[in-house]
Amino acid sequence: MRARVAEPWVEVPLQRFVDDARVLFALLLHPSGQVLGQFGFTRAVDVMAACALGAAIHASASQLGRELDGKPFRELYHAGRHRQIFIAETPTIRGPLILLTAFDTESSLGLVQVFFRNFCDMLRTAVPPVDEQPPVFTGDLERDLNRSLAILFGRARPPLADRGPSHPSE
Amino acid sequence: MSSPFEGMLEMLTRQRGVVGCLIVGEDDGIIVDVNVQVGIDAPVIAALAAALYRRARLSSEAAGLATVNFLQLEAERGHLCMAGRDGLVIVTITEPKAQIGLIRGAMLQSVETLA
Repeated sequence: MRARVAEPWVEVPLQRFVDDARVLFALLLHPSGQVLGQFGFTRAVDVMAACALGAAIHASASQLGRELDGKPFRELYHAGRHRQIFIAETPTIRGPLILLTAFDTESSLGLVQVFFRNFCDMLRTAVPPVDEQPPVFTGDLERDLNRSLAILFGRARPPLADRGPSHPSE
Repeated sequence: MSSPFEGMLEMLTRQRGVVGCLIVGEDDGIIVDVNVQVGIDAPVIAALAAALYRRARLSSEAAGLATVNFLQLEAERGHLCMAGRDGLVIVTITEPKAQIGLIRGAMLQSVETLA
């Protein structure tokens, strides 16, 4: 299974992370809850729910960190009985993004942390300059979210400037 | 604050050719205690070595060979030695010239005290 992305520049880093860390699900999103890329989800409604919850958890954890430690918590980990989740923030020149990932015993927290560091490095080099692309978000959350979900699940095409070499046939 | 593994790590890192030693959780790949030379990326080694040891243990069990006592990875620039028990793994990083026999003995002795 391949990672599906709304912004082509996140595809290679996300796919590499998924392959290396052997995670079950991965979601790259903006702190507002808008999705940039996903792996493992088959339904748009699940992506939407995971984005909303992931953004809310990240916002809550950040505020909790500010209250307790004077600065936001950057990583959050929860171990379930069979699956574990890891949520962390990655800085880019376009602002912070959030990676939410779920994994089972095929991976481990240590591996996810190690490959998350690599992911951050790859994302930092892959991100295009701000003036080379149209704005990812227009400010209308619902419209932006629906647009991203439509691109992720093949119901719409990415903006012209986003296409590049990963869409040679277009 | 000293950890219960401090003495063990000191003893293992005193062996000739050893450049670092870690106690790692087998399931999560997270460092429990560590004593490595400057420049060694301990969290990366911990995560990957724990995953390697876990795979080896599962392979051994699947093949009906029972427990993995000692796992050695021989590379161009040194060795990675692992021994584990009860969810913890001792990982030792050595130079190529290290006397693996002595290190193996010390690790197997040390692993008896893990729990």
